[in-house]
Amino acid sequence: MTEYSPFSLHGKHILVAGASSGIGWAICKSIVAAGGKVTGVARRADLLQKMAQELGEGNAFFIEADLATDNGIEKVAAMMPDVNGLVYAAGVSKMLPLKFIKRESLEELMNINYFSMVLLLAQMVRQKKIKRNAHSSIVLISSVAQQIGTKSSILYTGSKGAMSSASKAIANELSSQKIRVNTIEPGMVQTAMASEMEDVISAEAVEKDKAKYPLGYGMPDDVANTAVFLLSDASKWMTGRSLTLDGGRYVLLD
Amino acid sequence: MDKNHFLQSFAEQFDDTDPSTITLETHFKEMEEWSSMVALMIIAMVDEQYSKKITGADLREANTIEQLFERVSSK
Repeated sequence: MTEYSPFSLHGKHILVAGASSGIGWAICKSIVAAGGKVTGVARRADLLQKMAQELGEGNAFFIEADLATDNGIEKVAAMMPDVNGLVYAAGVSKMLPLKFIKRESLEELMNINYFSMVLLLAQMVRQKKIKRNAHSSIVLISSVAQQIGTKSSILYTGSKGAMSSASKAIANELSSQKIRVNTIEPGMVQTAMASEMEDVISAEAVEKDKAKYPLGYGMPDDVANTAVFLLSDASKWMTGRSLTLDGGRYVLLD
Repeated sequence: MDKNHFLQSFAEQFDDTDPSTITLETHFKEMEEWSSMVALMIIAMVDEQYSKKITGADLREANTIEQLFERVSSK
């Protein structure tokens, strides 16, 4: 018989919103590797099928839904069994200088990065789908962008700032049910989203930026392993807080 | 797409450079005011005005404003 480890997710079922993103998918894999079960939510059925096969039946379940819509959110909340945790990893990024920002682009990013996060949590809590008094944990994937001021990142920075700020109020509201809420604020992680940015800026500029990270750019696993810690009982005294993962970028200065 | 309209829109992205000194033959990346921020503004301007997506690679490949205009036109 193996000894109990507070870092294990054995017996826990976790919902991951944005399961097909680089970070979301890494989190799904890490949850299963840590002994938990995962239900991932994403828009593309073909991807979901492939993901379920890779993680093995019985460990991973997937729901095809568009979280940018009320219907998608209601579908997820209705289909989910009670869970021990939820990770919100859905999100988009867009670089746009201030003078080009219009309501449409502002609403597009706020919708998926912030509104849908709040609305999904609201539905899950309203329907009592997050187990109470059972060390349940909510993890929100925010960004270090909300701590700093990168040019042209107003849309993304604002949406992640809203997420990080709101997480504290949500943590306070849910503390009476012993449901914890924490955020992870990663720096640049090597994902498809980062590659898109590389395409917009330039490979040279990205290389220059990468050199400023004492430990280099992060990998999706780096964020996923931190998410597992926050979902596990090992972090059961932690709520309303944020963990910055940036390879030392914004604290170890020359 | 009108070449002169493109030139005018391009020149509008600069704050300190006299627009009359910017021509279709200007090697834009050699301009004193050229920066990554201006590059992002050019990308956003092309998207807003012409509904076309250009990338950092397009800016890298083109030397003059006319060459950039041709790249945008061909998209």
